[in-house]
Order: sequence, then structure tokens, then C-alpha cells
Amino acid sequence: MAVLTVENLRKDYGRIQALKGVSFSVPEGAVFGILGPNGSGKTTLLGLITDILKPTAGSYKLFNEEPNESHRRQMGTFLETPNFYHYLSAVRNLRISAAIKQRGGDDIDRVIEVVNLTQRKDSRFSTYSLGMKQRLAIASCLLGNPNVLILDEPTNGLDPVGIAETRELIKKLHQQGKTIIMASHLLDEVEKVCTHVAILKKGELIAAGHVNDILANEDIVEISAADMNKLQQVAKTLSGYTNLKAEENILKLFYPLGTADLEQINRSFFEHGVVLNGLQVKKKSLESKFFELTN
Amino acid sequence: MTELLKIEWLKIKNYSAFIVLSLFFALGVVGANYAVYVFKTNVIDKSDPTPGLISSIKFYDFAHTWQTTSYVSGFLLLLPGLLLILLITNEFNFRTHRQNILDGWSRSEFFNVKLALVVIAALASTLLVFLTGLVFGFASGTSFSFENIEAVGYFFLKSLTYNMVALLFGVLIRKTGFAIGLYFVYMFFENFISALLEGLSFYLKVQNGFDIGNMGDYLPMNASDALLTFPKNVVTDMAKNSSVAPHTYSWLIFGLAILYLAIFYVWSRSRIIKTDL
Repeated sequence: MAVLTVENLRKDYGRIQALKGVSFSVPEGAVFGILGPNGSGKTTLLGLITDILKPTAGSYKLFNEEPNESHRRQMGTFLETPNFYHYLSAVRNLRISAAIKQRGGDDIDRVIEVVNLTQRKDSRFSTYSLGMKQRLAIASCLLGNPNVLILDEPTNGLDPVGIAETRELIKKLHQQGKTIIMASHLLDEVEKVCTHVAILKKGELIAAGHVNDILANEDIVEISAADMNKLQQVAKTLSGYTNLKAEENILKLFYPLGTADLEQINRSFFEHGVVLNGLQVKKKSLESKFFELTN
Repeated sequence: MTELLKIEWLKIKNYSAFIVLSLFFALGVVGANYAVYVFKTNVIDKSDPTPGLISSIKFYDFAHTWQTTSYVSGFLLLLPGLLLILLITNEFNFRTHRQNILDGWSRSEFFNVKLALVVIAALASTLLVFLTGLVFGFASGTSFSFENIEAVGYFFLKSLTYNMVALLFGVLIRKTGFAIGLYFVYMFFENFISALLEGLSFYLKVQNGFDIGNMGDYLPMNASDALLTFPKNVVTDMAKNSSVAPHTYSWLIFGLAILYLAIFYVWSRSRIIKTDL
């Protein structure tokens, strides 16, 4: 079953096209990362599928049905900022959320414990730090143990410990079979927790699918020698790599994942009279892949 | 709806402005009427410049108490309006209007419960005015009567109008300070225009014999104001029967007041239902 199906969804703000006809679907049990730089339309997309924003065109389905508020009650959603009544305590705020969700009223202490806010649960929301507000928003999403979570930049404003904890929490929820739809501009985050990814750029969907398909890694061999010109000439005679890129004092050879043989490379150059003074293999980072996709 | 209101109560009951403004309003209604009562009996009646004429009118006799209490209390209706603006703009400031929808309210549930607050605030204010009128009526030493009770109904209409305007301003403007500021500015502006129109109505009647009533009473907030008049007495009768005053078409004013309420309803509702939150 698809938890979410988006069909040709479009959103204009006046002359600005925030989302230009996006289609994809999120399978049940996926950790679905929506990746894109700032202003690429991630939050707009999440706003549209939660009825916060009205689409200019296109449609979407939740749980294979026409969307309505009862679907939203089955999801824990955190969009853009932690939204709570400033003058109420964490517990009182969560009582309101639980009552609207019609579930999880007896779950409040548990979710507050999960995000480590038990000691401050009776403090007013306005006294919280940014990170604590963020944690409370995550706690609110967990109320009633929903099967689907929508998280918009969930680690924003968290300290390194908080980021690691959130990542562990997402992995744990994934193991329990929950579906998580997560927007992020942090590639590292997506690489570490997501099973699926959709990449947005200026409102357009560039790619969507399984992480390994979209973000297939490569071996990058970085070599250098005293005579860079000679090095480059010799490199052109070699085979096995798919791409070659010359940078200042360094030459990059791109090999399909797991096929770069450093000994063989070193020997080839030596036999051609070039002594390498630098040789190392680097996994292609998601970051460079991301720049490649979005630039 | 009970469920929705229970949730709304969770938001309101610990909100200090709610407690403060409600208290101010309640004390204000009782206090203002008490002040009028005391001033009338102790000052005006004792030094009546028109011997017997003004002191003959008893503001808080049972024949007049409903009208007097409603009229005097009407000036305090800004307070519930202010509270409603706060309660509505808070949602936008805290962005909880979004969270309520994300958590599983429909947009119309979000609007309906705010509308319910508007009606409940109007009913509570009216009940307060009714009780105040009752107490002052008995305090005047007269026997109970429902004479002129329709004034309390007009108070309800006026209260509903003020609250609906507050809802509309809150929903349209969203920013607390701006919404409150414009609420007051609008009220001042409408009264100013109303005064000009009233002058024009007098002028048209006297100069051209053209009388479609006091046009100042046909504006949104002035319509419900106009229905709530000071108790009839010798002085008001003189003013009313003068040949220069335009005729009062009560049915027209009443119809307009209802029409404006319908417009406020449709406008604020469509804003919540149809636009981005």
C-alpha cells in the first residue's frame, strides 16, 4: 500500500512557482527523505499534503484514499516550526494535541520521556530553548504511536547529542515498521536513515526512488605526481574507470563501486615511468552527488 | 461540538488575559450600572434643573431596567471583542492554527469552534446583563416585569456584532497588535462616517423633504448600536418628534444588522476554509 501518492502537485505563490507538478509515491514502511536545498519546495510539499496549503493544481492521496482529517489523526506531523501555546506547559500542550488526535491521552508521559523532557514537563513552553521546543514537537508526533510520521527538518536546532538521538529514534521507528516522511537539507542525515529519497530542486522533482538507486556510490581514486602533465597523459591510456577529472595538483579517476585496484593503478603508472606521490581511494560522498544532481 | 469546545477550553482556561478581561467586563457591567444608578438617584434627582421632569424617570424601574442596563453595558462590549481578537490571533502567532489542522481538525472544525466562542461570549455577556438588570430592578423597589425586555435581545445582537467583527479582524489581520489597533480605528472611523451621514440625513429631510431615515444607522456596527436606545423619556421623545429628525425605520436597521452578521460570517469562514494557513 502507498501511504502517500502525489500526482502532478503544483503550487504557485503569485508568479513564483514553488512546486512545479511533482509526482511520486511513498511505500508503506519506508523512511522517505525529501531532499533539497533551501527554497526547493520541501515544506511547501509537506504543507500541501497536510491541508495547510491549497494546491494550485494536482492532487494527492493518503492511504490510497481521498485525503481528509481522519487520515491526519493517524499521522504525527511536525511542519517547519514547533507550534505550541506559549503560555501553557509541555503537558498541557500535549493534552490539546492528544485530544485533537483523539488518541494518546495516556501516552503523554511516555513521549515526554522519549525526548528527555520529563524534568521540564511542567514548565511553560515559552521558557524552553530552541532545542527543547524541537524535542517537544517530536514528542507530539509520537503521541498515540502513529504508523506514519511526517517530519520537517527534525534535527534543526538540536545539539549533536540530540541529532544522534533523533536519528536513533527514526531508525527504531523504522524497525517497528513505521513509515516516515522526512524533509531535510542535511544529506548526511538522509544518507544515514533513509531508505527512499526524492530530490527537489527549485520546485522540480529531479529524482525519486530507493536510496541505493538514486545515490549509487562510486570509488574515486585521487592521484598526484610531481609532473602532473605526464600523469594525465598516462592516465588517459589506462582503462577501467568511467570518468577522469583533473584538478589543481590532483587527478581524480572514477571507478564503479568496488572495482578500483590501487596496487594495479600504482604499478601501471610506475611502468609508464610516473612515480606517484599520492594515491588514495575515496568513496563518493552523497554531498558531491547532491551537488551534481542539483547544479 | 462539545468535544471541540472541551479542547478550546484547554487552551483558554489557563490564559491570563482571559481571566483578566472577563473579570474587567463583569465588574465593568455591574460597576457602570451602579455608577449610573447612584449618580441618577443621588445627584441628578436631588438637583433636578427641570423640577420633576427628569427625576420623574426612573432608569432602573422594571419598566426601564432592561433597556438602561443593556444600553449602559453596551459601551463595554469592546472588552469581549478584545479578548476574542487575542484568542484568535494567538493561534496565528503561535502557528497553532496549523498544528490544530495537522493534528487532525478539519478547517471547518477550526472555524466552527471559534464561531462557537463568539456566540458563547455574546450569550454570557447577555446573561450578565440580564442578571444585572434583574438585580437593579429589584433594588429600585419595583415589582418584576418583562416590559421592554426586547432591549436585552438587542444587546445580544450588538454583542454578537462586536464579536463577529473581532473574529473577522482576527482572521483577516492575524497579527495581534494590528488587529486590535484596526478594530479600534475602524470603530472610530465608522462612528465618524455615521455622524456625517446623520448630518446629511437631517439636511436632506429639512432641505429636500427627502427622508430615508438616519443613514448613519445603516453602517455595520452602528446598525446594531442604533437598535439599543436609551430608555424613552420626555427628552428623547422631544428629540424624536421634532420635525427635523429623520424617521427611524427599525425593521430596516434590524434587517441590515442581520445582513452584516451574515457577511462577517461568510467572509471570515471562507478565509479559513479556502486560503493557505
